[in-house]
Amino acid sequence: MERVDKIIFGDNQFFGINHMSQEKAQQLAEQFHNIENIFKVYHIAYEAGVRAFMLNSHAKAYDICKYFRENKSHFEGVSWYPSLPYAYKYANLVAEKGIIPAINEVLFNENTASGVFGMITKGSMAVLNKDAFKLMKMLVDVELRAFKGLNIKVAFLQNIITDLMLGYDIKEVFYEFCEHIRKKYNAMPGLVTQNMPYLKSKLEEWGITEVVICSSFNKIGYLMSPDRDSYITAANNNDSSKYQLIAMSTLASGAIPTKEAYDFINVQNIQSVVFGASSKNHITETIQLIKLK
Amino acid sequence: MVNSKISIGIIGMGRMGITHYSIINGHPDVVIESVADPSGLIMTLMNKYLPLKTYKNYNELFRGSTPDAILVCTPPDLHYPIIKSAAEKGIHVFVEKPFTTKLAEASELAHIYSGNRLVNQVGYVNRFNDIFLKVKEFLDNGVIGKVIRFKSEMFSCTISRSAESSGWRSSRGSGGGAVFEMASHAIDLVNFLIGKPDKVIGSSLNKIFSKNVEDAVSSTFLYKNGVTGTIYINWSDTSYRKPTNKIEIFGDDGKIFADQHSLKIFLNKPNEKFKLREGWNTLYITDVFKPVPFYVRGNEFSSQLWHFIECIQGKVKTNNCTFADGNDTLEVIENIFNDYDLNGKI
Repeated sequence: MERVDKIIFGDNQFFGINHMSQEKAQQLAEQFHNIENIFKVYHIAYEAGVRAFMLNSHAKAYDICKYFRENKSHFEGVSWYPSLPYAYKYANLVAEKGIIPAINEVLFNENTASGVFGMITKGSMAVLNKDAFKLMKMLVDVELRAFKGLNIKVAFLQNIITDLMLGYDIKEVFYEFCEHIRKKYNAMPGLVTQNMPYLKSKLEEWGITEVVICSSFNKIGYLMSPDRDSYITAANNNDSSKYQLIAMSTLASGAIPTKEAYDFINVQNIQSVVFGASSKNHITETIQLIKLK
Repeated sequence: MVNSKISIGIIGMGRMGITHYSIINGHPDVVIESVADPSGLIMTLMNKYLPLKTYKNYNELFRGSTPDAILVCTPPDLHYPIIKSAAEKGIHVFVEKPFTTKLAEASELAHIYSGNRLVNQVGYVNRFNDIFLKVKEFLDNGVIGKVIRFKSEMFSCTISRSAESSGWRSSRGSGGGAVFEMASHAIDLVNFLIGKPDKVIGSSLNKIFSKNVEDAVSSTFLYKNGVTGTIYINWSDTSYRKPTNKIEIFGDDGKIFADQHSLKIFLNKPNEKFKLREGWNTLYITDVFKPVPFYVRGNEFSSQLWHFIECIQGKVKTNNCTFADGNDTLEVIENIFNDYDLNGKI
C-alpha cells in the first residue's frame, strides 16, 4: 500500500466550519469569502513544506482546484485527498424535495452528459432497482469532477455517509466504493469516520484492506466513539500495511493547546495528521510539532 | 437460548427513518426485525441487502410482525393512527417530532400512554444535547437566579429558493411548514428549560420561498409567574450553514447565551458549586460532551435512541421526552396558529 503523507493540510477553516464556536466559524467565513485569501494560505502552507491537501467537494472546490491546475509550476509534487460529498447540499435538497428527486437533481443539474441524461429520463427508479451501486458511483464521479487533472492520492467518503452506512452493516457498499476509487481514479480509498475502532473491525471482518481511515483523534476523546481508549488500543493493534490511520480534530476544535495536543498524537500508532490553520505562525508551529513515530 | 434482544420495527424510511435505522442498528441489544415504507425502491433495496421483513405500510407490518418497539418516522399526519394501533398491541413507541398535527390526537395518545406501562418518546433531540442539558442543570440549580425573560431562536437554510414542491412538506395539514418542522424544536426547548407558556400573543408568520406554508414565525410567550419570552424561527436564512438553535435567558442573578456548541454565562456573583466566576464564563461542547457508543450525525441523535432503549430495558425509570411533553409542544403550536389567525393579519 502506498504511504500517505505524514502531514495533510485540511480545509474546514476555509468553509466557515468550526465545531466548537459558530461565532468563530462566521469570522472564518468572512475572512475567506474572497477566494484570493484561500490561495494565499495554500501558498504559505506549500512554502512551509506541506505537499498534501485534503479538500471537501464543496462548491468552492472547483475554483480551488482550477487555481492549482493553472499554477501547477508553483505547486510541484502536491497530492490531493478529496473528501465527498458536501453533505449539506444533499441534506437541504432532500428536505426540500425528498430523497429520489434530490438525487435526480444532483445528477441532472450538475451533469449534462447525455448518458446520464438518458438514464434519468428513463426513470431513476429503474436504474436504482437494477444497480444501486451504479448510481453511487455516478454520484462519486459528480463529486470528484472538480479534481480532474490533479494528482488524487486518496479519495475519502465523508463521515456522515461512512457512519450512516456503517450502521447498516452492508459490506457491498464499502467494497464497491473502495474498488471504484482504486479502478477509476487509481487512488487509495479512504473512509472518514467518528467510529474508527468499529469501522476498522468491520473492514477486517469483511476482508476489505488497503484502506485509509481518517478519524478524530485527540487527547480529550472529542468525537471519538465509543471512547478515547478504544481508539488508542485499535491504533496500537493496527497493521499499517492494511489500514493507514489519519488523525483529524487533533486540537478538538481548539479545546486542547497545540503543544499538548501533539505531545499526545506523536506517541500514537498513526500514520498521518490532517490539520487546518489560516495563519503562517500556526501553520509553521503545527508542522514543527507533528513528529509521528 | 431465548433471544433477549429488543426487536424494532421502523415505519417510514425517509430521511429520519434512514438515520434512525443506522443509529439503532448499532445498539448491541437491538435487532431491527421489520421496516415499512410505500416506496418500492427503498423497500426493494432493503430487502436485497438486509436481513429483515419489509412492508408497504404499518397495517401490513403489524399483521406480519410483532416488534417490541417501533420508531415512527412517517409524515406527521400519519403518526396518530400508527401509534393508536401500537398502543392496542402493547408496543413501545418512539415518534419523530412533531408528535402529531392535531392537539386532540396528541392529547388522546398522551392519555393512553400515561395509563399503560409502555415507553413513549418524541424525537425532540435538543433535550439530549450536552450544552442544553448543562443549561437545564444551571437553571434547575438557580445559578442565574429567578428567570425573568428569554429568547429562543432557530435558523437554517433548509428552504433557500422558490421551487415547485409536492409531498407532505408543502402542506400544514400533513405536518409541513416551519412551525411544525422547525419551530417545534425551539418551542420544546422553551418547555424543557423554562416551562410551558400560559398564554401566546403577538404571533406572526411569513412566507419567504414556500407557496403554501410559512418559512418564518415569531411569537411572544407569557407565564402566570411573570416570566416573558419570545421565539423567532426562520428556515430560509441562508447565512446559516446548518440548523442552529440559540437561547438567551435572563435571570436576576445573571444570564445565559447558548447554542448547540457553546454556552456563555454572565453572573452577578461567583458560583462555587459549578466553579463559575463573577462576570463572563464560557463553556464549549468539548468541555461538557459525553461520548456516545455509536456516532452517526451528532451525539444527541445517538443519545436519544439509547435512552429509548434503556427505558424499555428498565435501566432508566423516567423518559426525558414523553408523549405528554410532545402534547405540550403541540398545544403551544396550536395556540400560535390560533393567535395568528385571530390577531396576526391586518
